[in-house]
Amino acid sequence: MPAAQLVTAAIESAINTLLSLDESSDKALKPLSGKQLKVTLEEAPWPLLFHFSDRIDVLIPQPDQIADCSLEMSFITLQNLQDSSQITRLIQQQELRLEGDIHVAQHFSQLMTQLDIDWEQQLANYTGDVFAHNLFRALKQFGGQAKSTYGKFTRIVADGAIEEKRIAAPGLLVAAYCDKVNDLRSDVERLEARLNNLSLTTQNSVVKD
Amino acid sequence: MSNSQHSDSGVDVLESDSPSKVNMHQGDEASSAQTDQTHFGFKQVATEQKATMVADVFHSVAAKYDVMNDLMSMGIHRLWKRFTLDCSGARSGHKVLDLAGGTGDLAAKFSKIVGENGKVILADINNAMLTVGRDKLRNMGVVGNIDYVQANAEMLPFPDNTFDIITIAFGLRNVTDKDKALASMYRVLKPGGRLLVLEFSKPSSEMLSKVYDLYSFHLLPKMGQLVANDSESYQYLAESIRMHPDQETLKGMMDKVGFEQTNFYNLTGGIVALHRGYKF
Repeated sequence: MPAAQLVTAAIESAINTLLSLDESSDKALKPLSGKQLKVTLEEAPWPLLFHFSDRIDVLIPQPDQIADCSLEMSFITLQNLQDSSQITRLIQQQELRLEGDIHVAQHFSQLMTQLDIDWEQQLANYTGDVFAHNLFRALKQFGGQAKSTYGKFTRIVADGAIEEKRIAAPGLLVAAYCDKVNDLRSDVERLEARLNNLSLTTQNSVVKD
Repeated sequence: MSNSQHSDSGVDVLESDSPSKVNMHQGDEASSAQTDQTHFGFKQVATEQKATMVADVFHSVAAKYDVMNDLMSMGIHRLWKRFTLDCSGARSGHKVLDLAGGTGDLAAKFSKIVGENGKVILADINNAMLTVGRDKLRNMGVVGNIDYVQANAEMLPFPDNTFDIITIAFGLRNVTDKDKALASMYRVLKPGGRLLVLEFSKPSSEMLSKVYDLYSFHLLPKMGQLVANDSESYQYLAESIRMHPDQETLKGMMDKVGFEQTNFYNLTGGIVALHRGYKF
């Protein structure tokens, strides 16, 4: 089975499904119509060719195929591309190799990051408004609480790192303290052994008498 | 009865329902012409009869063609077609001929890629297949840059050097004189253009070949009977696949008519092969 085509079919289907959920995506796609963007990820086995029309077709380009814009980068750099204003900086830092029309890459980046999908409405189409609304309210509450907990945790860690570190015992002192505790433990164990021994001797002499 | 209809671009396209006029999906080798006999699957029939017989097959399966394709190949035919598309190098403004295009799977994709500056011709010799394909594509909103032409692959009704890309997917094995059809495709292809032939071929492993035989001669006609109420057409399908030239033979045929840098890719263990050749 052609595995590469299976992957591109899945990517194509996912992208076009997302686009279909945002009514404004048609308008955003227009400047890209007829253009091709070739993306080569260092970690990926194949490059991908995105062809734009009123939808996006994802193809595996031929080695000699020239696109309107070609990008070569690592997966980590791809994540930074979410902000299209970063493209110039990434090129300067040689984290991104770009050939062709930079606007194609910028438009594509904007298109994907500015998708405005009303997920609650989408869910309501299947479950009804009440369930979708309650679910999303609960998720929002949970999200708010999680965010607040994360914020508190971050503050505690930050306070610990900034404030408490200054008055915290230095490493050598802690090591010396640990050594002393170990010595004390050894002394206690020796004393306990002597007491046991003494107790045994006393019992034996009572039995003899 | 013959009639004339308008394609999406307003070009008049001749259609014919009469079997005597529909010289379609004929399957024979040039050598058989000497005896006026040809093969229809494993059977030997008169050349004139075969046209009608194959026409009947495709008239019979046209309505359930897509469903059966998905069922028979377990959806893998879509990946084979995607591979063809990947190898086509199609881009905006190209002129593409999708020959024996059937229900238009490839034509729909090409239509999006070549855009409004390009053109796709969906050609098939079979009126029923063409009608199903046209209705399907129009319902999908694929209009504007696509024309539908009823044409015989052996005598393509287009000027020389017209197309950037020609594809023929699962159609060549039904053509009577394959050499003549390949020469005709070569003629209408622009210099620098490429021909892509997607067709059933010979599995590369013996084991797979046996499993494939078992599947296509026993299971396939039963599936055809159950879903399309037509086992004979699917029996013919299996037989016509076995009568089709293997990978190397077809490559040689393409070389012979003038194609250059000809190569082929085996897909799914050679059950299907994609042949590609360039005209320079």
